[in-house]
Amino acid sequence: MLKYAYFPGCVAQGACSELDLSTKALAKKLDIELLELKRAACCGSGTFKEDSQLLEDTVNARNIALAEELNLPLLTHCSTCQGVIGHVDERLKDAKENDPEYFDRVNGFLSQEHCTPYRGSTDVKHLLWAIVSDYGIDKVREKVSRKLSGLKCASFYGCYLLRGESHLAYDDPYNPQSMENVFEAVGATPIIYEGRTKCCGWPLSSYATDKAFSMAGMHLQAAIDAGADCLVTPCPLCHLNLDSRQPEVEKAWGQKLGLPVLHLPQLVALALGVSPKELGMGKHVVSTRSVLQKLGF
Amino acid sequence: MQIEFQILRQTPDTAPKLDRFTVEADSSETILSCLNRIKWEQDGSLAFRKNCRNTICGSCSMRINGRSTLACKENIAGEMARLGTASGETPTMTIAPLGNLPVVKDLIVDMKPFWDDLEKVEPYVSTSSRQLPEREFLQSPDERAEFNATGNCILCGACYSECNAKEVNPNFVGPHALAKAQRLLADDRDDRREARLESFDNPDSGVWGCTRCYYCNSVCPMEVSPLDRISEIKGEILDRSTKDDSRPIRHRKVLLELVEEGGWIDERKFSLQVIGNYFKDLQGLLDIAPLGLRMLANGKFPVRFDPSEGSAEVRGLIAAVKAATQATTKAGA
Repeated sequence: MLKYAYFPGCVAQGACSELDLSTKALAKKLDIELLELKRAACCGSGTFKEDSQLLEDTVNARNIALAEELNLPLLTHCSTCQGVIGHVDERLKDAKENDPEYFDRVNGFLSQEHCTPYRGSTDVKHLLWAIVSDYGIDKVREKVSRKLSGLKCASFYGCYLLRGESHLAYDDPYNPQSMENVFEAVGATPIIYEGRTKCCGWPLSSYATDKAFSMAGMHLQAAIDAGADCLVTPCPLCHLNLDSRQPEVEKAWGQKLGLPVLHLPQLVALALGVSPKELGMGKHVVSTRSVLQKLGF
Repeated sequence: MQIEFQILRQTPDTAPKLDRFTVEADSSETILSCLNRIKWEQDGSLAFRKNCRNTICGSCSMRINGRSTLACKENIAGEMARLGTASGETPTMTIAPLGNLPVVKDLIVDMKPFWDDLEKVEPYVSTSSRQLPEREFLQSPDERAEFNATGNCILCGACYSECNAKEVNPNFVGPHALAKAQRLLADDRDDRREARLESFDNPDSGVWGCTRCYYCNSVCPMEVSPLDRISEIKGEILDRSTKDDSRPIRHRKVLLELVEEGGWIDERKFSLQVIGNYFKDLQGLLDIAPLGLRMLANGKFPVRFDPSEGSAEVRGLIAAVKAATQATTKAGA
């Protein structure tokens, strides 16, 4: 049985609680055990680094050390958390070999504050990578009880998942296939469009809102033009800009879009027979009704 | 082996079209070498820039199989590995001009906007420093090491081509220019530091216009890591700013405060404090009110917030790191 230290992240405990619900429901269906890291903290979503690299490394070394205490890989379900924590893990594993002074400095802070030191003994893994590399796409395919036939899915990967880490072990950052392979495994049809590897605009949304909405509008429109019934994303921050703010994006874009945006575990769990209600499919700003109707719910 | 090339060709007056060529080449050959062969042996009208063939001049940047890079740096074998070409299958290389720049012909783009944007950060060590004293300027190896990364930039335009912020904001000066800006801030011979920091501190053309898409870091063939350089400039601005200075600055400072407070971010407070500026920014509040109501109506508004059980540890850790970095900054100053 696969077992992970589950890092919930901020958004899945806040505005995207349906992501937390669906990750847990999916894990249950796949017999994956999740031990939630209740003492963990926000990864900083890339902004701690702007204060200092040391701050980003230290706070996230503590997050990883919490998983190491359990001798488990740390599981994220957010592209941003994955890119940030995964990159800290890469950097500190490298420092352990090549810059022991820096490695000791980070651990010095952890010891001083009575936290378990970071050892560099585990991995940081996004749910998508766990599905494709640990669980296996073929095993997911075998578990499908309700094929999502006819549903045209366009992926939206999230920048940090593809390019946040220096080495991407499971996919190509410019022409990724993992999401599309998952779509095929659950019986859905992948839609390829310009924009699936690009920025959703979320990082700019609080202060350069027009630019953030331009990015979202451009990608939503491209997915619609390519024939998508929905977007599917492994990142709740992308979800915030693409779903929660879609009515404002439409105004800025000057056109009705109305494209539902699903979280990755929602899509997979639907194919494994979990009900839309259990997956919080009603908790979206853009109604998911059209997707559910197409699937015969 | 046989390699298929599909090359996007166009002029300002003609629509882009894909031309296909088949090349007989060894898998160790570079993309540039194959393009040369196409031009010399099959179609002399194919236009692309080239010069040093050695990853030095930055002339042959173009989009190769979906990302901007140097044609002289990438070879067929590497591309086949990336594309996952099965053995026995004829590999297909897709070649297109750089993005975010107008095309002159085929793979040649007009670099003028790129140079104009670079000029906007005044990419020269300041004028007063250039009035030469009797002795030359001395700089220790450690002082020079401060801008080693940016010193490697060959101005090839790969980062600019993929910049997601530039795509929606023509005023944003771009990753190449801001990387150069960091180089000047780090150069102890420059005496325009304060004025420079002020000019980069804005959400349109300056550092806050960057959307952290990581494309620049990822595609840079010289490991300049422009995003990391932009983050360093942001750090310097944050060090000398308060929450009242601007919304992007407040965004960073409030985020950190909320993590100190509860381990996780309390999203309800985040929006109110960053956009509403603690009820001081009425327009900001009005702007986000519909979002709040929409979230409520769809059961997405986080009605409660549970702090992390490790909040106290995290608070202590952040305070300790801050104290140490501030002490270093003071010692440095």
